[in-house]
Amino acid sequence: MRQKESSISRYCLPIVTVGLYMFLYIPMIVLIIFSFNSKEYTYQWSSFSLKWYYELFDSIEIWDALKNSLIVATSSVILSSVMGVLLVFYSAHTYAKKTFLLFYGNLVVPEIVLAVGLLSFFAFFSIPLGITTLIAGHTLVGLGYVVPIVHARFLELDNRYKEASLDLGATENQTLMRVILPLLSPALFASGLLVFIISLDDFILSFFCAGATTQTLPIYIFSMMRSGATPVVSALSTLLIVISSILVLIFSSLQIKKTDMLQ
Amino acid sequence: MKKNDLKNALKREAPFFMIMPALIWQVLFFFVPFFIILGLSFVTFYGPVIGQIVTFNYYLSLCDNAHVRIVARSLIFAVLNAIFCLICAYPVAYFLARRITRWKNFFLFFLILPFWTNMLIQIHAWFFILERNGLINTILLKLGIITTPLHLANNIGSVFLLMVYCYMPFMIMPLYSILEKLDQRLIESSYDLGANNWQTFFNVTLPLSLPGIKTGLFLVFVPSFGEFVIPALMGGSKHMFVGSLISHYFLMAFDVQKGAAFTIASGLVLLLVFVLCNWFFSKKMRTTKGPSYAAFTPESLPSDVNSGE
Repeated sequence: MRQKESSISRYCLPIVTVGLYMFLYIPMIVLIIFSFNSKEYTYQWSSFSLKWYYELFDSIEIWDALKNSLIVATSSVILSSVMGVLLVFYSAHTYAKKTFLLFYGNLVVPEIVLAVGLLSFFAFFSIPLGITTLIAGHTLVGLGYVVPIVHARFLELDNRYKEASLDLGATENQTLMRVILPLLSPALFASGLLVFIISLDDFILSFFCAGATTQTLPIYIFSMMRSGATPVVSALSTLLIVISSILVLIFSSLQIKKTDMLQ
Repeated sequence: MKKNDLKNALKREAPFFMIMPALIWQVLFFFVPFFIILGLSFVTFYGPVIGQIVTFNYYLSLCDNAHVRIVARSLIFAVLNAIFCLICAYPVAYFLARRITRWKNFFLFFLILPFWTNMLIQIHAWFFILERNGLINTILLKLGIITTPLHLANNIGSVFLLMVYCYMPFMIMPLYSILEKLDQRLIESSYDLGANNWQTFFNVTLPLSLPGIKTGLFLVFVPSFGEFVIPALMGGSKHMFVGSLISHYFLMAFDVQKGAAFTIASGLVLLLVFVLCNWFFSKKMRTTKGPSYAAFTPESLPSDVNSGE
């Protein structure tokens, strides 16, 4: 027996929802439209042009920043996934099974505190800032995502798989590679994608750990915005929005597949 | 024989070596930096000579009006932001989770997308709306409501607006996922027992969504307390926030020790709010989720409760 919907939930809820979507998307849509504007230094529309996109593709700095961003993101995904899986698998059912709790701090602490801590650490041991320090920081954040996600999935797995594999004579390493890893792969892929996009988007940590010479894409955007944004930033932003929507599509189709498999 | 012993010992301890990389990484880049910051905030260096004295001077120098005001401002902004996001996001999450049946993935996609979009891009987008000759001013001028453009960007109001905008997805997602999982049978039984819409909402739906509310509040509150990007780009550099002051001490003023002390002090403020909030929620959740409710988890309900109409 369902009571009749009140007028509030019938009319107000959709209105609030539409309002919120408009709030979220009007600025983005205006940004995308104005990235095709031909006039510079103004927020008024004159005519359609692609010249900012041409300028974007001609810029050496942007390609360099993109290259750095991709190197950092890829290495931190690989490093944090490998280390995370090894930790989760080998610490389970041993004296160290609670160690995963250590990694929750990475997400709870505000990013600026992490960044300041890392900066002092590198300064203290006089490690020169650059791509290596960026990878160190991003991998730390990545571990904060990979370890909880993979650990949660690992706990859902039936421990009998592991026991059966060991009973049948496989070594621990073989069990990990042939049995556990394939079972963990959806969670691993999801967390890897998450770490990749977070690393690509990360600004605060990169700003502190990159030093003066290395630029990632967000640092480049930040410095451009500081010195008066040109429409090139809008063109770049539009491209990045398109890329993130593709990644979101991949990510959500992944989730759907996972739930299909469970049913 | 001895070589074999060593080999066996290594084999036995293999798990130890396998978990070490992640642990070393975590200790080296998370716990060691923390202790360095903590140390820096207490220790004085006297010039080139390494004479170190433990001092509380850095903390004492923070106890002036300016610093207290900055922490208070950040705290108020973060709290207001979290509450405002909650009020706006709850109806939307509720609608999407429990009312929409068609096009659900479509709506969800557009909900997740801002989550994955760079915050700098979002700030950049808002300049098109708020600038002197941006969208709002253009529309208002055309309509003849105002005659001179309003100053909408680069003030404290625009910082708050941007905070709400950037952190809204962090609130909607946990609310959505908890409301989606909420057992419809509990709501229906509330109606069956004679409760009206509002009673059902306040006595059943809202208490059951408390864990999601808690997660959302934390996800919004913690990063917006330390926010650094939005004030730096949208704040017009008139008002300092905790994040901008920390970065000022470390990157511009090179007053590392005072910065470290400020970081620790504001971290303690954050921790205090965190603990208070946690205590409040655990009290609330205990009263609604006592033993009487625990017996009514979805699993314990007979599965034919719905079909037996």
